[in-house]
Amino acid sequence: MRIQTPEDLDSVRKNGLKKIQPGRPRIGIGTSSCGIAVGGIALYDRINEIVQNENHDISLVKTGCIGFCKEEPIVSVSIPGKALVLLRKVHQEDAEKVISLALQGDVPSDRVLCKISDWDHITGNLVYGNGFDSIPEYEEIPFFAHQKKVILRDSGLINPEDIDEYIGIGGYFASFKALTSMEPDAIIDEVKRSGLRGRGGAGFPAGLKWEITKKAPGEEKYIVCNADEGDPGAYMNRNEMESDPHMLLEGMLIGAFAMGVHEGLIYIRAEYPLAIERLMLALEQARLYGLLGKNIFNTGFDFDIRIATGAGAFVCGESTALAASIEGKTGRPRLRPPRLTEKGVFGKPTDLNNVETWCNVPVIIAKGASWYSSIGAKGNTGTKVFSLVGKVDNVGMVEVPLGTSLHSIIYDIGNGGALGREVKAVQTGGPSGGCIPVRLFDTPVDFENLNKVGTMMGSGGLVVMDEDTNMVDIARYFINFASGESCGKCVPCREGLKHMLLILNRIVAGKGTHEDINLLKELSETVQKTSLCGLGQTAPNPVLTTMQYFLEEYDDLISPEA
Amino acid sequence: MSLFGSMNRMVTITINKNQYLAEEGEIFLLTAMRLNIDIPHLCYEKALEPYGACRLCMVDVVTCGKTTMTPACTIKVHNGLEILTDTPEIIKHRSLLFELYLAEAPKSEVVREMAAKYGVTKTRFLKKIVHDDPLLGKCILCGLCVRVCNEIMGTCAINFINRGPYTVINTPFFEQNPDCAGCAACAQVCPTNAIVFDDRGSNRIMQSWSHTTVPLATCSSCRKSFAPEKLMQKVLNNLEPEIIEEIRTLCPECRRKLITRKEVGKIPKS
Repeated sequence: MRIQTPEDLDSVRKNGLKKIQPGRPRIGIGTSSCGIAVGGIALYDRINEIVQNENHDISLVKTGCIGFCKEEPIVSVSIPGKALVLLRKVHQEDAEKVISLALQGDVPSDRVLCKISDWDHITGNLVYGNGFDSIPEYEEIPFFAHQKKVILRDSGLINPEDIDEYIGIGGYFASFKALTSMEPDAIIDEVKRSGLRGRGGAGFPAGLKWEITKKAPGEEKYIVCNADEGDPGAYMNRNEMESDPHMLLEGMLIGAFAMGVHEGLIYIRAEYPLAIERLMLALEQARLYGLLGKNIFNTGFDFDIRIATGAGAFVCGESTALAASIEGKTGRPRLRPPRLTEKGVFGKPTDLNNVETWCNVPVIIAKGASWYSSIGAKGNTGTKVFSLVGKVDNVGMVEVPLGTSLHSIIYDIGNGGALGREVKAVQTGGPSGGCIPVRLFDTPVDFENLNKVGTMMGSGGLVVMDEDTNMVDIARYFINFASGESCGKCVPCREGLKHMLLILNRIVAGKGTHEDINLLKELSETVQKTSLCGLGQTAPNPVLTTMQYFLEEYDDLISPEA
Repeated sequence: MSLFGSMNRMVTITINKNQYLAEEGEIFLLTAMRLNIDIPHLCYEKALEPYGACRLCMVDVVTCGKTTMTPACTIKVHNGLEILTDTPEIIKHRSLLFELYLAEAPKSEVVREMAAKYGVTKTRFLKKIVHDDPLLGKCILCGLCVRVCNEIMGTCAINFINRGPYTVINTPFFEQNPDCAGCAACAQVCPTNAIVFDDRGSNRIMQSWSHTTVPLATCSSCRKSFAPEKLMQKVLNNLEPEIIEEIRTLCPECRRKLITRKEVGKIPKS
């Protein structure tokens, strides 16, 4: 069936809603990569086996990740008329208990995490019901209480492998509105007024980039989604695609219409097989409904998306290297200008946005620019998803308004150091970012303030370090990563990082001298100033920030004889 | 530039606080060279697109009082362009880059001389020692050979292998590459003379490129081997109008002799 009229869309929505609230117990198993890693699929298979064999009246679905990765596999149980209950750390052996209790309208009390009475999907509102008085509400769990879910609004609650469920909670209504009732320029204007900035790291205004692409001369143009997330410790984009792939497709569809582009590409690393699988499935389902392809919503607008898989080179996240990789060339950056908006993929004007940037678009259109810009801080509107990892108690996917302090993320949400240890620092922005000491945790997380303390937003990895972490070793780890990922085109990055690593190896081994520390600093500054692309220019940040904030740890490693 | 001189507008630019006239749109590195303003560089070649990889030609572009370090080979001259080529900061970074080059290509006389000219005579970094390096410990990975082979000759006989500090240049799988025409443009363009080849008997051996062996054409007159056969074919097939039949198989020397003899024959005997 092709969706062409508002009635078509609404009938699919009703159908999708019935899948989410089927009038019988529904069990959802968290099967993003994080859930699968701790037995999510095995649990799904076991429950499926029991339900099939014993012919139970239960609806079983795979869901994405609700963000609390520490507690995976997370299972949601929804009994008609009652609050949805999230269960934590459910394993295969709990399968029978979960099923039998669900059939009785109950849940295993020893596995309970929290309950959800109603949920704001932003594009729609779901009321589950009451009951389970002794179970804490979702908002009462500190990990969730301090978050604001915009991008992750559907994650862990809907089945990412079923387009009906996305439409069921109001998905694709924004694109319908955009394509059928808005002028392309009005869409760009809305995105500009929302203040949305690129979530890939640099924070370039998304609407402005769209406008530049649109105005670039030429008929043939591309829009590209950068899904080459490769920072150590960062997995937000993977989770967004695994948990809610249609949100990305809808964002791209709206963007394509606004820019008048007919071809979209998702550049995704091959190391994300599940995300690729779910995206492929989502594309297929969207095409069947006519949401991609020819004459979308009967407007005469054509657009389709293809997937380009990369071989997992960190440097291919750099825009020009990414374009080269899509063209089948070696992923090496070239000089800019010309920028991609001028001369991008296959030499055509190209708009490149990060996964999360695209994911913001449907809600901006659905709720309007002023609603969106009321979230976050001035000049830094909206929310940002972070993967909170490392030596923090609550590991997981965290979404907060921009401008939230690091302290709030690490202590209020993350509950401080793991195993009761003291947190010492946090690394933001992956190998391009820096380590911020605990005394600067009041820093609001936004593009400018992070730059001020010597680090950057990056795509959103937050790696927490505790008292047992040696900061010189951390710097060494990141330089080792960056050196291995350098493309080798320009000498400061190719040779400079290599020698930085050699010096750091020497220092960590206790064989360094004070001259080594000085040389390391000097070399870091040259690599930063003279490298060709962002990889080299930002690679010394972990060294420079650890030297700035933890110089005594370097000095401690220099033996007194030296 | 055309035969009749510059077709472009002349504009005023400022280099190190002095004003000069320069041709609009010209690559700034070339302008500076013409004006005898010294900027070191290793990866620029007029016949190729600017590549910006050696980072030695980094200069400061001044815009609204702010400076941005940019490779001179990527700057196009425009009216009011303001450049600083020798600030203490530029000299500092440039010197360190020379130290990196001295460590990367310890056997290169060119790098050593160039560095010395800018006051860098030794490196604090560990020198790269590669045993049996086909590029003699002289390669600085500027990529000129690869780009000439791919972009000008259209051959793609060599390319970069591996990445980051492990990058090297050679033929695929380090095997003899039948695609190589033996034109030796790579060796010609190499700024550090790292590429070696040798004409032995009727073959040219590209020693640096896994000893790729290319047969040489033999002159039909003097029987000397003179140019790679494949290259000859490629060139002769692309000439417009075609070269006259009787000199197609001659070496340049015999060709000259033949034409001279013919021309001499045309002079009326007095």
